[in-house]
Amino acid sequence: MSRNRWDHPDLGLGVGLRTAHFAHILSQRPELGFFEVLTENFLDTGGRPLFVLDQIAERYPIVMHGVSLSIGSTDPLDFDYLRKVKDLARRTKAAWVSDHVCWTGVLGRNTHDLLPLPYTEAALRHTAERVKAVQEFLERPVVLENPSTYLEFTPSAMSEWEFIGRLAEEADCGLLLDVNNVYVSAFNHGYDAHEYIDAIPVDRVCQYHLAGHTHKGTHILDTHSDHVVQEVWELFGHAVQRTGPRATLLEWDASIPPFEVVHAEVLKAAAWREREVSRAA
Amino acid sequence: MPPEGASSALGLDRVQRWLQAVIVHPGCVADALASAEARVEVPTKAIEEVVRPSWSLTAVERVEVYHGMYLLRMVEALESDFPAVRHFLGEEAFAELVRDYVERYPSRSYTLNRLGDHLPQFFAEEVDRPDAAFLHDLARAELAATEVFDEEPSPVLEAEALRRVPQLALAQARLRPIDALRLLELRHTVVGHLEAAKHGRPAPRPRRRRSHLAVYRRDYTVLRREMTGDEYGMLSALVAGQPLGEAIGAAALRLRAARREETVFRWFRSWVAEGLFSAIDCEPEAARGSQPGMTAASRMG
Repeated sequence: MSRNRWDHPDLGLGVGLRTAHFAHILSQRPELGFFEVLTENFLDTGGRPLFVLDQIAERYPIVMHGVSLSIGSTDPLDFDYLRKVKDLARRTKAAWVSDHVCWTGVLGRNTHDLLPLPYTEAALRHTAERVKAVQEFLERPVVLENPSTYLEFTPSAMSEWEFIGRLAEEADCGLLLDVNNVYVSAFNHGYDAHEYIDAIPVDRVCQYHLAGHTHKGTHILDTHSDHVVQEVWELFGHAVQRTGPRATLLEWDASIPPFEVVHAEVLKAAAWREREVSRAA
Repeated sequence: MPPEGASSALGLDRVQRWLQAVIVHPGCVADALASAEARVEVPTKAIEEVVRPSWSLTAVERVEVYHGMYLLRMVEALESDFPAVRHFLGEEAFAELVRDYVERYPSRSYTLNRLGDHLPQFFAEEVDRPDAAFLHDLARAELAATEVFDEEPSPVLEAEALRRVPQLALAQARLRPIDALRLLELRHTVVGHLEAAKHGRPAPRPRRRRSHLAVYRRDYTVLRREMTGDEYGMLSALVAGQPLGEAIGAAALRLRAARREETVFRWFRSWVAEGLFSAIDCEPEAARGSQPGMTAASRMG
């Protein structure tokens, strides 16, 4: 076990901040290590979301998680967007800023999907250069999450885990390891999820994501709409044995249940984390 | 002329243009793959040179997963901002509307929150659609709510601050509205439809009748106020920067009611109580002499 490269703190267990839970969080102040906010929901608003976020940021550490950085796109980087991300990070004193290894659109459009990249040398060079530019602009390392994907490109010359590991090394960025995404993609593409986890550079991992998904028989969709399945818990345990404790976040974005249900799932994650860390010690 | 094969110079830019063209195509995935925008990057039959089949899905089926999710995501975003339009049209017709809308006005922003900004304009362009004029009004009302939801907070002019303005200065004073205020003059009534969507009641039939709304935010809650044409006229004049005395005078002249001054004052006190103004600007020279409308204006606070 080792610490991550930037000594980002282990923030413990957190949940994604969702509107449906605003009132509960403000009135009950649940015991949690941190909240993760969806960056784009707070960039262009002076309304209630930002008002609530300011209050929550006074009581809890915040990490920011974006979906529109489009780091692998061949469109130019959007520095207007990045300026707003930087301002929000300052305002919330965000512990770190994350997004995804993906692209979301080209030709000025945004599909608002986290689209897969072909894992080629050219795509790796292109994406690494953009990560460096973003980090220079934001004046902080960014943390990138492995996506859940439903297709693979024929021209890919390396595995997703090799691409992501090399990207982290070449761009000198952090990684957010979404264990459910590893499971989903491994099922969809027919590879070994443990091999993926074992290849991820331990000192780059700053955070974990856990979530539920929807099994369609022929493929799995990353819907964040249910409890974490047993196989993902076990994969999470395996990953934690390698990395030691890292900030761990439970995502629940569709069919959102009452906060107590989400919190119970977080407590389950805490138990898994504790058991695996002590087993590895 | 599309290339014969795909793999020869399949750079990242071509892969991305191709996949996006397929995903956002409004037709089925077969039509999307055969579209000119997709074929210019990858010939239809060369799909396996770009996408690998999996153990369970063909290359086309794998692309179809993304193609299907695109429209679902757009529908989800727009129905959360336009619940009354969705309620009025029903699930299927709303999905068709979204498909046509995002083809004409695709998202070019990092946020989905402003995806519906062109929806009223979209309906205005649908000249052959019988319900377009009504939907234009309904979409305007719902768009206004999303705008005021996200506006920057403004200070609120308190009645006490208004009372402190010297009486001689009131007639020439101009009020500044809060940022989170939109005034709408509509050709149809829409409040019944907004309420029907909120409470899950059947949507009423559209009714063509001029209506007026103020959509605003108070204490981070979005509210609306139905107004008569006269009330709307006076509030619009004040929001546009007309001096208080002039706006009152004009409104009072328009009203036929016997107690027209009382009506105007009641409106004004109500607007102030609702927090529709952020400040009052007085010209110093106005305080030096008597001004038209001063007596009426002095009763406002």
